[in-house]
Amino acid sequence: MIPRERCTYSAIVDRPPLILPNRGRVVVWTIVNLEFWDISRPMARQVLPAPTGQVLLPDVPNWSWHEYGMRVGVWRFLELFAHLKIRPTLSINARVCEEYERVARAARDAGWEFMGHAWEQMPIHQVADQAAMIGKSLDTLERFTGKRPMGWLGPGLTETEKTPDLLAAAGIKYIGDWVYDDEPTEIHTAHGPLITLPYTVELNDIPMMLVQHHESAYFMQRCIDSFERLYREGSERAKIMAIAIHPYISGQPHRIKYLEAVYEHINRHAGALHWTGTEILEWYLAARRNQ
Amino acid sequence: MLPTERLEFSVIPHRRRLSLPGGARLVVWVIVNVEEWDPTQAMPRTVLTPPGGGAPMPDIPNWAWHEYGNRVGFWRILEVLDQHTIRAVLAINGSAIARYEPIARAGLDRGWEFIGHAFTQRSMQKVEDEREDIRKTAASIRTVTGKSPRGWLGPGLTETWETPDLLAEEGYEYVCDWVLDDQPVRLKTRAKPIVSIPYTQECNDVAMMLIQHHKAGEYYDRAVDQFEQLYGDAAASARIMALVVHPYIMGAPHRLKYLRRALARIREYPDVLFWTGEEILDWYLVQSPPP
Repeated sequence: MIPRERCTYSAIVDRPPLILPNRGRVVVWTIVNLEFWDISRPMARQVLPAPTGQVLLPDVPNWSWHEYGMRVGVWRFLELFAHLKIRPTLSINARVCEEYERVARAARDAGWEFMGHAWEQMPIHQVADQAAMIGKSLDTLERFTGKRPMGWLGPGLTETEKTPDLLAAAGIKYIGDWVYDDEPTEIHTAHGPLITLPYTVELNDIPMMLVQHHESAYFMQRCIDSFERLYREGSERAKIMAIAIHPYISGQPHRIKYLEAVYEHINRHAGALHWTGTEILEWYLAARRNQ
Repeated sequence: MLPTERLEFSVIPHRRRLSLPGGARLVVWVIVNVEEWDPTQAMPRTVLTPPGGGAPMPDIPNWAWHEYGNRVGFWRILEVLDQHTIRAVLAINGSAIARYEPIARAGLDRGWEFIGHAFTQRSMQKVEDEREDIRKTAASIRTVTGKSPRGWLGPGLTETWETPDLLAEEGYEYVCDWVLDDQPVRLKTRAKPIVSIPYTQECNDVAMMLIQHHKAGEYYDRAVDQFEQLYGDAAASARIMALVVHPYIMGAPHRLKYLRRALARIREYPDVLFWTGEEILDWYLVQSPPP
């Protein structure tokens, strides 16, 4: 199915506002991405292309740059969110539960919500049996946490034309791949409705730092600019603001302080809520009924 | 026809003086680009590349990122233009007129000018029947405005050797693809001449944010720097300054304020006019009558 068959165009100004409890204005949805990069394939991202642009296999420098996130960077996230008493949503390649059990355990013990993020980090188009991969990923996460994941994010947000159908069939309730609104929406699948939550490619350290090559401090500025605008709009209708981070990028020593500053700024505002994906989903389903 | 066959080389200080009414120095025109991206094709621009590279299809994340502009971003930009009582020029794909009917209606209600921006968002060099595309686009616009569009902007400013001829033959009176001057100029065609009105690749959010990867604040800085220089130049003879926005770029929450501030700054000058393209055209035809 192409997107138009799943959901028609809707202008936000033509919809009745959604209301948050307790005079809430903006829900901040923090997503930490944990990935497994297979050293036998080209790396998912590169900080350093090889001299003369040759494709390296194995690509040890970029593999180890990502590995730093799992060894060091993610512990900065865990400390920050424990301190702030925020439970992020963990977008996790299921293979991480096996290869980096120590990291997955720390997130589980901290009460983070586990969201499916495929088996390992590659475009979903290249997966030979997508339904089997989705099933295996969700089973692995369920075994690890004791709970079947409610949410899903494609690697690099990738989908084929049938992905939402396969996800709905596997019991997934919400996805983050559709960054086309400030509010949750419902899309049609062959196996019933699926909810889209407003994930982000704007407040996301991959496009910002690895594609657009911004300075570290700009992450803070862009998040604050977004928050201020959405907070203003949030006096009339609920707004969701996602922040998407990766330990190998925002967990770097030179970047972590800008991430800390973002939450310091947000938490000075009454009506800023920190929710997980499932909390947003449950609120949306109820709020929609009450409209 | 080669560009050099369409117009003589001419230096701006040697031309006859152009004067604006009421002693005004400068005209600013604001062009809002509304497009429809076909989810079955490669996306015209991307914010996020797939992990490990390549170009898997369909490209849902980048489709959704653009769609955000029409669902949410456009309505923010509209509010800013309304606050400053600016009638913008809507450069709109013919197919987007029906798809995004609330946007076309908002433009119509405010008396914005509609100009052709091809039927779909792809290079004019890839369009099979260019004349048919140009005609279909005009027909779509007529369904909303009741009038044929007078102006045209190619998708990504693309043209074939024949485009200006076809536009003139099909009744278009001005074109925006030729960013070669600060004043309107005439281009020869097989039919009657067509006027080139100064559009911009400089104060254009696609070039600044998606290609050069500037911070959002650069839109304000560059617009004001551009304005101050042109305002000075205009002491000798009238100048035209274009400001270009796309809902999916400047309509992001973190970027909007830089557009608002730029317009507020320029609005402080009483001798600056905000006109549509056809107002510029009609003025120019009187100032510099056809030979």
